[in-house]
Amino acid sequence: MNWRPRSSLALLTLALGAAVAGWVRGEVYQEPDAFVAEVFGTRSEPKVLWLTKDIQVQGAAILGHPPVQLRQRYWSDAHKSVWILEEIGKEEFITAGFVVADGRIEHVRVLAYRESRGGEVRYPAFLKQFKNSKLAPDNTLDRSIDGIAGATLSVGAMERMARLALFFDRMGRR
Amino acid sequence: MKKSSLGVALAAAFAAAPAFGQATVDQKLQILQQEIDDLKAQARRSAAPAQQTSPYSLDYSSMLDRSSGLASGGTHVVGYGEVGYGKFRRSGDATADLQRFVFGFNHRFDERLTLHSEVEFEHAIVSKDDGGEAEIEQAWLNYKMSDAVNFKGGLFLIPLGILNETHEPPTYYGVMRNQVETRIIPTTWRELGAGVHGIVSEGIRYDIGITTNFDSGKLDDPTTGIRSAHQEGQLANARNLAVYGALNYRRPGLLVGGGVFTGDTGQNGASNPALQGVAARFTMWDVHAQYRIAGLDLQALYAAAMLGDADRITAASVAANLADPGVTAFAAPKSMKGAYVQAAYHVYKQGNFDVAPFVRYERIDIKQAEDPGNNLFQNPNNNERIKTLGVNFWVHPKVVVKADVQRYAADKSRDRFELGLGFMF
Repeated sequence: MNWRPRSSLALLTLALGAAVAGWVRGEVYQEPDAFVAEVFGTRSEPKVLWLTKDIQVQGAAILGHPPVQLRQRYWSDAHKSVWILEEIGKEEFITAGFVVADGRIEHVRVLAYRESRGGEVRYPAFLKQFKNSKLAPDNTLDRSIDGIAGATLSVGAMERMARLALFFDRMGRR
Repeated sequence: MKKSSLGVALAAAFAAAPAFGQATVDQKLQILQQEIDDLKAQARRSAAPAQQTSPYSLDYSSMLDRSSGLASGGTHVVGYGEVGYGKFRRSGDATADLQRFVFGFNHRFDERLTLHSEVEFEHAIVSKDDGGEAEIEQAWLNYKMSDAVNFKGGLFLIPLGILNETHEPPTYYGVMRNQVETRIIPTTWRELGAGVHGIVSEGIRYDIGITTNFDSGKLDDPTTGIRSAHQEGQLANARNLAVYGALNYRRPGLLVGGGVFTGDTGQNGASNPALQGVAARFTMWDVHAQYRIAGLDLQALYAAAMLGDADRITAASVAANLADPGVTAFAAPKSMKGAYVQAAYHVYKQGNFDVAPFVRYERIDIKQAEDPGNNLFQNPNNNERIKTLGVNFWVHPKVVVKADVQRYAADKSRDRFELGLGFMF
């Protein structure tokens, strides 16, 4: 193909048009506060789960690395709890919100996705696989989660966070 | 923070002093942190308008809640590498090689603008007397307008096939990359250019753009299709550019997609004067699919390409040979096609350990523009069938040990047993 300035200009115009028409948004899809408010309303005060040595050891077994935080904030009532967790997929953090009801995942949402590949994990087709999942005795999920081609590490991060949310829920109710 | 609030907190802390004195260090820390949190909450409630929080300061927590690395910006070091051992069945020869070590720096300038780079070293040593290579595999900027619209520019990977963009050793089966995505799609294939990409609808990813192209005047090895004509961003002749487009649909367990790349490669004879005015249009396309269900991984790909004016490229190589006998004349590839099917099954998965035997069947057919007058004929090894039987053993999601046996139908000297070790970070 010979270099044709007019064609390139047309392509650039098309791309800019698409950009303007597109939903201009960065990596953050929903602020954690808004996610919590969907479940518990705006006046809910957070609780704190301190990561004691025992919790850190089990958390490390789930994550494959020690949890960085010393405590985990969460919101809960008699049946439900909400956890905002962060985990690295390949190189950047994925922030996800988990709603746990009676020991099972009720709802998952990706709140912020920063990796360059694997953004498909934030869509319902993937996330709905977690619904009603619970922890097996060895702290794995009671079901297998189908991966997404090219997003293996993001899928792994989401699965680890789901396990951690269920584990934290159990610890928070001790 | 209001002074009165601080006073109340300190008074409360002193009032709690007797109990505090009997607490453990952990409990003291918790009590103090709770006091700080209460004060923060009080200050927030009394603040005038709510402050807009940065996407990276998810202000639901203090540093004690934090994972590290949430600062807006920062540079990440990434990389991958592989070591291979191959023993050839006929000759008995064996080689061991650090096939590649790649590292890269990915930098986030802000919420939208990122840099992606990879520097590759092949075959351990790079010097005038050794066979190693040092090259920039990727160096591109991405500006994210939204999920649906990203702009990219620089040296980036062409989105054809499955391996070209996702080529880290733990992500594919077999010690070596499959032959179809090596000899037909010239993985790792990158060009200088600009593009627009994103996810539209749910799971549909598009990628379109304008890039540099091959230079058919640089062709010298028709056994690898168009690969030897690549320019890889090194003072690339850019008289002729290319356009590409790719569409991939992903759902959990499923990938279906394809892509096309087309443009002239004559470059007005910049590398071989005999190609002045020759278009030598090159068009490649592919379709591919992956399906994963219940431990079973299925994958298939078909790729085809046409190189126009192949007879004139053959003639140009003859002219170059006449001018300089050190240059080898060849019959240029005029059409290339290849396909493979692959199946793997995860027989054991426990913790990080994951074992998956696999089998793959590949076909490659590269047709050349013969010139009998100059004894330039079709290479029979360019019509090849390859069977591979092997196993991947992941000791960690990012570290894999591999073994396989390969049998070639045409070029039996390539039959081999291979062992490999791959990693990414």
